Amino acid sequence: MRHKVLSVRDISPTTYVLRLERNGFEFTPGQCVNLGLPGTGVNREYSTYSGAGSEFLEFLIKEVPEGTVSPKLRAATPGTEVDLHGPYGSFVLDPQKITNSKFVFIASGTGIAPFHSFVTSYPELDCQIIHGIRHAVDRCDIEDFDSDRLVTCVSREPLEGRQGRVTDYLKETSLETESFYYLCGNQAMIYDVYDLLRQGGVSGDKIFTEAFF
Amino acid sequence: MKIAISYPPIVNDQGQKAMVSQNRNVQFFKKPTYLLPVVHGQAASWLKNLGYDVLWDDGNAQLKDFDQWFRDLVAWRPDMVVFESTTPVMKFYWKLVDQLKSACPNCIVVMTGYHSMRRPEETLDRCQADIILRSNHIDFVLRKLVPYIDEHSNWRDHCPIEGLVIRRDEKDYLDTGNFKQIEPLDLSPDVDRDLVRWKDYAYENGNYLQVPGTYATSVIRDCMFGKCTFCRYNGPDLTFSMRSVEKSLDEYQRLVEDYGVREIFDDSGVWYRGAEARQFAKGIIDRGLHKKDCYFGFNTRFGYMDEETVALLAKANFRFLLIGMEASDEETLARLNKGYSLEDVEANLKLFTKYGLFPHLTIMVGYYWQTRKQLQQTVDTVKRLMFEGVARTLQVTLCTPLDFTPYHQECSEEGVLLTDDYDDFDMSKLIVKTPIPHDEYYAAIRDIYGVAFHPKFVGRQVQFLSRMRKSDWQFLFTYGTRAVRRVNQHVFNLTRHEGSPA
Repeated sequence: MRHKVLSVRDISPTTYVLRLERNGFEFTPGQCVNLGLPGTGVNREYSTYSGAGSEFLEFLIKEVPEGTVSPKLRAATPGTEVDLHGPYGSFVLDPQKITNSKFVFIASGTGIAPFHSFVTSYPELDCQIIHGIRHAVDRCDIEDFDSDRLVTCVSREPLEGRQGRVTDYLKETSLETESFYYLCGNQAMIYDVYDLLRQGGVSGDKIFTEAFF
Repeated sequence: MKIAISYPPIVNDQGQKAMVSQNRNVQFFKKPTYLLPVVHGQAASWLKNLGYDVLWDDGNAQLKDFDQWFRDLVAWRPDMVVFESTTPVMKFYWKLVDQLKSACPNCIVVMTGYHSMRRPEETLDRCQADIILRSNHIDFVLRKLVPYIDEHSNWRDHCPIEGLVIRRDEKDYLDTGNFKQIEPLDLSPDVDRDLVRWKDYAYENGNYLQVPGTYATSVIRDCMFGKCTFCRYNGPDLTFSMRSVEKSLDEYQRLVEDYGVREIFDDSGVWYRGAEARQFAKGIIDRGLHKKDCYFGFNTRFGYMDEETVALLAKANFRFLLIGMEASDEETLARLNKGYSLEDVEANLKLFTKYGLFPHLTIMVGYYWQTRKQLQQTVDTVKRLMFEGVARTLQVTLCTPLDFTPYHQECSEEGVLLTDDYDDFDMSKLIVKTPIPHDEYYAAIRDIYGVAFHPKFVGRQVQFLSRMRKSDWQFLFTYGTRAVRRVNQHVFNLTRHEGSPA
């Protein structure tokens, strides 16, 4: 399915938001799609960043300098057509738990994309978001999150008096074993957080993961 | 402890042997194809490294008949036997487990495989198995489980290891919860080639352009994409993990230089792509392994390989690429969550063959929605791709709902499954209701495989193979003969139910 690019918005030197026309596309927050430029025969998976009710589609993309797809998508101008396949994936919230459960979303880098989609789609969600980034400049649209619910962990410089990874934050925090934990980001973060959660008494049945690669 | 990782020879009433095949499902073949079970091989290697006495006991690859295999296993007096099973041979395994428990009452029987991991209680109810692994990460689970059992006599009551269902008593099972989904793959060792008797698997495998070949320790566990609805590597409880490029390169170097391997195939659901693929190809070149008369191959997806990567792979002596095309109509590709269009398929195939790679297409027919028009479109497209020379070889299978995959669940929900007899899930016949008679799908298979004997295709093939860097006519003849033999076998297997009532 072809979708036109509406805009490309830079978040940081390495990250941008690609906005596409909605074109009737339906998805469940947390699902991903394959994006590529027509005729290239190459595409990559990206989680949806925008909410289910939004009039457009957005994807939070990290530009891989030697990458095949992400630099081309960043260079796209309004009106450029993009191939989109999907949606798919099961990294979604159980509809029966959305209004009566607590969630903890733990992300590294652009792994915050599905959680942005969750909170904009389900404003009533009882959740905490723990976002690990390297530099403060990598924060993404923090005004879209309730500041009481968002914890930003910056590993390479202090932010608001604190510096460290999501694992450092989790070690200092008492874990709620009844919450549902969603982890999205690079594999190393997921390995480490998974172990911390299990050591903290969180059942494996309450942990959901989506590894970026 | 003495641990056997065992694959019994299973022969059906037509004298065909059960072989692990596409998607780790079992298919019956007269002529053998021996696929090294890589993850179980890693498990065996890991246990051996921990100091346990491990028997690699593949009765099929070791050319034993059932009685001999069973006698030898019992005589070895194992403390634990690990089996791997999928739906079409579950009933066989349930009987076998009871037979083994009669002969070796104290032996702990562990069941692994995609069927029992999804329905552990069923297997515990139907046979005397002791432990069911709910994980497909057999190596990671066994390296924790075996030492625990070794050190704790009360392991049935208090096992803290996740991902197991343990028999405590006849009807009392201990479920240790969800298994750990992700572990760093680099922790699991390379397959110990001597332990698994690698040469048993080095010759009879259709994925090898030359022999002896072997399977690499997979660089990806499960699948990087993991969304195709019919595939095992799909589900909320599965995810992927990746091995480091350097560790894999070290293994390739050992296989080529110490074992004299001439073809290495990586059977990961989907191999590296992008930066890792390029880094791997550069590593092969930097180590000079591309000049050692060894071809390399892997499974990939359409949409994953760009021109720079393909060119590097070709330079590094990669040849055989196995790619699931599945169908050629957009509706089916979308329903299967393939994530690409026919346009991408054609662009990728042209790129692969431009650089001399050898794309092998896998196609399925008999989806429960597949119309005559869609079927014909697939047949026509595949034939055209083969005649144009952008695909080199192919394999057609009947789409069978495998062990509780999303497609299987969808078939159940849609009420299109025609049988619940596990024996019928051996991919030899269609077991779903379809919009056109089943015979039309069988005829399509015959039609597609007919390409192999068409003069236009044969001419293209000779032209292509003679351009390969190694212009070896003996190789060409050997590969051609093997290919024809396999085509005949596939046509027989997949069309023998033609004319049977649906």
